[in-house]
Amino acid sequence: MKTALVLPLFVLTILVPALRAGGCGAAAAAAAPAPSGRSIYQLGATWTDDSGRPFRLAALRGQPVVLAMFFTACGYACPRIVADMAQVRASLPPAVRARARFVLVSFDDVRDTVPVLHAYREQHELPADGWVLLRGTPEDIRELAAVLGVQYRRDAQGLFEHSNLITVLDAEGEIVHQRSGLEGGLAAAAGAVVAVR
Amino acid sequence: MTHRTSAKAGLTAIALLAAAAGLRAAPPAGMVLIPAGVYAPLLRGPADPARVPVPAFFLDERPVTNAEFLAFVRANPRWRRSQVPAVFAERGYLARWAGDLEPGPRAPADAPVVEVSWFAARAYARWAGRRLPTIAEWERAAAAGIHGDAGRSEPGYNAAALDWYATPQPAVLPAAGSGRPNFFGARDLLDLVWEWVDDFNSALVNGDSRGAGGAGLFCGAGAASSRDPSDYPAFMRTGYRSSLKADYTVANLGFRCAQDFAPQAARNP
Repeated sequence: MKTALVLPLFVLTILVPALRAGGCGAAAAAAAPAPSGRSIYQLGATWTDDSGRPFRLAALRGQPVVLAMFFTACGYACPRIVADMAQVRASLPPAVRARARFVLVSFDDVRDTVPVLHAYREQHELPADGWVLLRGTPEDIRELAAVLGVQYRRDAQGLFEHSNLITVLDAEGEIVHQRSGLEGGLAAAAGAVVAVR
Repeated sequence: MTHRTSAKAGLTAIALLAAAAGLRAAPPAGMVLIPAGVYAPLLRGPADPARVPVPAFFLDERPVTNAEFLAFVRANPRWRRSQVPAVFAERGYLARWAGDLEPGPRAPADAPVVEVSWFAARAYARWAGRRLPTIAEWERAAAAGIHGDAGRSEPGYNAAALDWYATPQPAVLPAAGSGRPNFFGARDLLDLVWEWVDDFNSALVNGDSRGAGGAGLFCGAGAASSRDPSDYPAFMRTGYRSSLKADYTVANLGFRCAQDFAPQAARNP
């Protein structure tokens, strides 16, 4: 009699936390082994995407990721970085393109609000199935930049000076390739994405 | 109410006010108050201000020690040497310690902890309810001399800093906190260990000095001019910070913590 009750309760206690964590994806991640020691998914930060939903980088696990830090008011380099990432995406074989995720994380916790990010997505035609746009706290931004090796500072006008860097992560979240600057290197970046198992 | 009672009530009120004011200004344990001031960045572009205001903040009087870091790793196993994820600290992490929970003879309890990455320093600060100082905060505190807040106007200040940069590091570091306090009461800023800061990766300088090679590496950073070419110690520190990566662990690089100065919030010290 008691076991008949215990089993459904046991199942419920497992399911309820998993459901509250945000659905099947989160439950699968919780059951998977911890990220490898070199994975940037060791970072525990919770970001916000351009729909206002909480987002952890570890949710990207299992697929190749192309990631850059940017800000929407950036007049020169960031539009080129985004265009370069789009070019990499377009050059991928369809099966790889369907798997890969392109992630933009904003430096600007003040101006790049959820609506501003969302408007940027629309303006630059970044489809929802391929692109993730994120905002976060100044501390988390500094930490992510440190992990990637991005340098940046906020200037007197509240704009950002920053290094230009596109990072490729493998399915484990380990950095496998980086392209710095704004010239060339896109074929190599695409090659790194294709090479991800 | 008699004259004496009202005077007593008045004195009590004054005492309470003074105590409250004291509570507002009292630094947390082991910290000193760095009053509001300015920081003159060493390198700045033409659009950047020559001076940046630095609000008042609290700064550790001395660097974090091995004993303090031991308490941290006891409480936080993932930061022990054998367990720290590689992304957060390169292989030299706490290399001089005898074991995960044993600083050992090469890391005296009161000596500053070194061979810690920026991630580890930050995690310690967070655990301690504090944070790392920014470059502006650290430099503002370090710019003080003994008798005032402008060390460079005091004889021997620059020479002492340069002497330390020229001196080989001892195999075993001396105790933290034994240096002479500067005008703000902070010790050991310029002559014990180099120190992590929160925004160490905010200097957009390129190791490649060939101008053309830098094109496209940075967005927005124009040509920088220096505030004072004779402030060689500041150049040393700027260059040093620019050479660091967040996972680096270095034999002469430690850290100390800072904390916001929040007069309204300090009812619960």
